[in-house]
Amino acid sequence: MKTTIKGVQEKIKKGETSHEEVFSSYLARIKERNETTNAFLTVFEKSKTVNEEKKELPLYGAFFAVKDNILIKEERCTAGSKILEHYVAPYTATVVEKILENGGVVVGKTNLDEFAMGSSTENSTFGPSRNPIDTERVPGGSSGGSAAAIADGMCNAGLGSDTGGSIRQPAAFCGVVGFKPTYGTVSRSGVMSMSSSFDQVGPFTNCVEDAETVFNVISGKDERDSVTSDLIKKETQENFRVGILKEYFVDGINQEVKRVLQEAIKKIEKAGLDVVEVSLPHTEYALPAYEIIMASEVSTNMARYDGIRYGLEFDRPAAKTMQDAYLKNRGEGFGKEVKRRIILGTYALSAGYYDAYYIRAQKIRTLIAEDFKSVFKKVDVVFAPTTPTLPFKIGEKVEDPLSMHLSDIFTVTANLAGLPAISLPCGKSGDFSVGAQVLADRFYEDKLFLAAKKFEKIWKS
Amino acid sequence: MIKKKEIERIAFFARLHLDDEEQKRMPEEIDSILQYIQRLRDVDINEIEPLFHFPELKNVVREDIAKTVDRETQKQMMAMGKDKDDYLKVESIL
Repeated sequence: MKTTIKGVQEKIKKGETSHEEVFSSYLARIKERNETTNAFLTVFEKSKTVNEEKKELPLYGAFFAVKDNILIKEERCTAGSKILEHYVAPYTATVVEKILENGGVVVGKTNLDEFAMGSSTENSTFGPSRNPIDTERVPGGSSGGSAAAIADGMCNAGLGSDTGGSIRQPAAFCGVVGFKPTYGTVSRSGVMSMSSSFDQVGPFTNCVEDAETVFNVISGKDERDSVTSDLIKKETQENFRVGILKEYFVDGINQEVKRVLQEAIKKIEKAGLDVVEVSLPHTEYALPAYEIIMASEVSTNMARYDGIRYGLEFDRPAAKTMQDAYLKNRGEGFGKEVKRRIILGTYALSAGYYDAYYIRAQKIRTLIAEDFKSVFKKVDVVFAPTTPTLPFKIGEKVEDPLSMHLSDIFTVTANLAGLPAISLPCGKSGDFSVGAQVLADRFYEDKLFLAAKKFEKIWKS
Repeated sequence: MIKKKEIERIAFFARLHLDDEEQKRMPEEIDSILQYIQRLRDVDINEIEPLFHFPELKNVVREDIAKTVDRETQKQMMAMGKDKDDYLKVESIL
């Protein structure tokens, strides 16, 4: 049962169902399916349903799967990591507060790659999540649990975090809509930091309009996240120019993905939209630059998990010194991928390498942001693939970190340049949907939603 | 190729114990990523400024004033560790 937020609202209004009935049907679906997909780590069966007085609120009828790196007071929050297995959150994230204030319900907390590091949701201490379309395959990641939950009809909305594609890539793999807002529009207070200059929270939904509704609720300045601002543009505009990113359709992209995307482009051209080819000359440097900056920020953000704060029991008798305790707690508490990134980041930031790696990568980040700046002088939105492949098999890439990281090759650019980007299904290859990505300039969410809604309508008809 | 010894040194700085298997595999895994990022050397970065943060973001400052929290918050904070009167007791570090 895949329903939109708006769809549920209308059904309740018409008296075809009630808020309680919708909630119990989602709980029943979770009971039936969660053992297979492993989307939820915690289910809130006793969540209060929202009474009728609230039916005019924008998120009335929205049932959320929230990624388990987003805090909800007095509930467990694990980040998919052994080091936080028993951690209970002392306060609620701003995004969740806003959802609850606006009539939304949280159904449960979802599985993820440990601390949001991964592209398949296999790096979780609680086992991998599975793609509901084909359970031998990954749902993508790192917000794979939220994507699988909504795709499998266990809820009609989700929250994830996106550092290099962790909302958009799983949305593409599971055939739903996933949106990463402009950096600095949505508060990260109560969201575990991974790479602070990239991290952004955003929704999973079953249509673009729902993503816009959720974004309007969760965005805005928050004094608890000092990079948030109220710079979001609210312009109404009828027409827009679409740029096709030339460099994103070259080697390395799966032929089926390419075929579906090209058909999607043909359809928007046929519908009379103004489409031109545009170029981002520094595209091939985006992922390597991202790797360095992300790992560097990861290595500093992960320093707080020492096994003394945040829950994990301190094994005093076994450790003779504090040093031993840290080594042991972190060595046993973190999984392989987190360790790899901490080591790479520590290396990149260490004396003698700092300029060669970190500073160089930040300079290349400038070049990538400038590439986009000049493209947005010519067009309002750009169109690109979300992922280079269809969902891969569980186990296929987990032993080969570089090939796993290449899953994010088309998504990291939006994080490097701080842009808003949405992934939506644009056609099918067998049972799988192919995700198309639409990007706009910083704070131009209005243009992005306008274009994405138009595309959605064209591709669905 | 990054050496096993160097990985061990960095792991120690990062306070990470690596088990035998990790010690064996990590150099190769880190190396494959380092090889991949070598291409950044091909870019001319002369006179380019690094993008540490976005230009419209301004530093946010406020007065450093101690706040009194309500009893409930106090209770939650105390629940995070062993407490002694109104203080949190932590492991000695010196």
